Amino acid sequence: MMAVAQPTMPGESRWERVARFWRRAPNSFRIGAVVLLIHLFVAATGPFWAPYGLSQMGTGIPLAGMSWAHPFGVDQLGRDIFSRVVHGAHIVILLSLSGTFLGLVIGAVVGLISGYVGGWIDEILQRLIEALISIPFLVLALIAIAAAGPQLAGQPILIILVVALVYAPRIARMARAAAVDIATRDFVTVARLRGEGAWSVMRRELLPNASGVLLVEFALRAGYAPVLIGSLGFLGFGMRPPTPEWGLMISENRALLIVSPVTVLGPGLTLASLVVGLNLFTDGLARILGRTVRLADA
Amino acid sequence: MSILRLVIGRVLLSLLTLLLVSIIIFAIIEVLPGDVASRILGRDATPETLAALRERLHLNDPAIQRYLSWFGGMLQGDFGNALTSARPITEILAPRIFNTVLLSAVAFGIYLPLALIPALIQATHRERPVDHGLSVVTLILLSMPDFLLATVLMILFVIMIPVLPAISLVVETSTVSQYARALVLPATTLAIVMAVYAVRMLRDNLIEVLESEYIRMAELKGLPRRKVLLRHALPNALVPTLNVTALNLGYLIGGVVIVEKVFGFPGFGSLLVDSLQLRDVPLIEATVLIAAAVYIAANLLADLGAILLNPRLRAG
Repeated sequence: MMAVAQPTMPGESRWERVARFWRRAPNSFRIGAVVLLIHLFVAATGPFWAPYGLSQMGTGIPLAGMSWAHPFGVDQLGRDIFSRVVHGAHIVILLSLSGTFLGLVIGAVVGLISGYVGGWIDEILQRLIEALISIPFLVLALIAIAAAGPQLAGQPILIILVVALVYAPRIARMARAAAVDIATRDFVTVARLRGEGAWSVMRRELLPNASGVLLVEFALRAGYAPVLIGSLGFLGFGMRPPTPEWGLMISENRALLIVSPVTVLGPGLTLASLVVGLNLFTDGLARILGRTVRLADA
Repeated sequence: MSILRLVIGRVLLSLLTLLLVSIIIFAIIEVLPGDVASRILGRDATPETLAALRERLHLNDPAIQRYLSWFGGMLQGDFGNALTSARPITEILAPRIFNTVLLSAVAFGIYLPLALIPALIQATHRERPVDHGLSVVTLILLSMPDFLLATVLMILFVIMIPVLPAISLVVETSTVSQYARALVLPATTLAIVMAVYAVRMLRDNLIEVLESEYIRMAELKGLPRRKVLLRHALPNALVPTLNVTALNLGYLIGGVVIVEKVFGFPGFGSLLVDSLQLRDVPLIEATVLIAAAVYIAANLLADLGAILLNPRLRAG
């Protein structure tokens, strides 16, 4: 099952090594990686080849339904939904990844400190983490957005901060558990006896050994971030029109669902395919690293 | 009595968490950045209206004093008055909570068979096409945002096969059948989302249990397959699933926000969104605190359940 850290075969090029890793990787990893690569490709190059502009109106008959020229139909304002989905790809992916990454950094730092330093700092941090997790995540995200006020509303930075706020305590809890576990190992004791300070032990001993846990945790959370961002957009608390964020598009086109369902299904299924890809990739990654994934969100 | 101490400790911890949550909510909404009154009024603010609103919300008092009177009132069941309608919050909340509890109960009723049956089929047909097929289906459903799932169900049962209402609006005078029709789609959406998590976990647990020696023993004894599965395997596989059910309850509290909004169901979740849109600060604080309290209580019950179901702890 273990496919990482294979010894290099003599006379093997880097490409051959990658190919060998790929052959041995679990199916879920391979399918997930392919789906993700397609999404990343669209996100990176989409704005250059999308058939119509981001909010170009009059591209076709409004609500005309599916056709070769408009695979996802045309919305009420005559905008081509497919082009908007393509233009929106990098927004969804960038917001998800940067929000999750910020959450990972904060969560990892807090969790490692809490788990390694222990004592009353640990107690306080744990209670605080517990309290933040006890507010249902969507509710926490909504009140944070409401509290940020009108100046920040609809700004990408607010979405990133909110995703980080939701994920940081959850990631911190995992990081703390990993730190507590690693801190009992001999090499940590040795490092401490060598006279290394707490900060240095955390950075040089704990962090590298917790990286597997953190990587899986990052992938798992990043897989859910598009849904969270989409939910916020859907409820009208995320990005503002005319941003082509997929959740927001679903809510915009829902009013005329009965006339043209494809305008909702297009962005919806694109969002779902991104999440399927991320979930499969995470599942495969966890198998490669020899860990089990908790699919449910705690 | 170590178990009693364990239980009391867990309960006290939950109360402490609830206290912290109330402080966090208060801090996020009232203390952090800037002035509540100008945030509520937005662009319509004039110095006079600002002063009047500040007076009404007691914003001129120090934050600690405001927090104490808010939390103290809440402990006595007094949530104060809503800002927009000036009605007592308890009066606004009561019918909404009733509706959401009803919705959740129906959702749980659909959730149980929806979780159990596919998991049993998968575990008994392990690594066969049915198992793989169901795994793919659950993975796709797992990746589907709840608002999308709700919309797909709506396309299916409102537009393509028009049997159900698009808007699940109920009022206090609605008949039972109106309620039932209104509840089907939102409850099914919630049930599917919850079941998907449980199916995947229950399948793995069942497979693990089915490989254990006492199941082999029961099979060798000549017990019918159905009896082995339902009497011996299922109860043991259910215990770890208890955790998922608690998680699902947690999901449910956030899930109702989306699902009620999609279907226009007048419950607690749509009240929360409405109060946020209207910037009705007292109503927001009350609904968020209740949502968190329910979540904490659900987790507490799951933990207590796990303590009580664990024979090693029970004996001690």
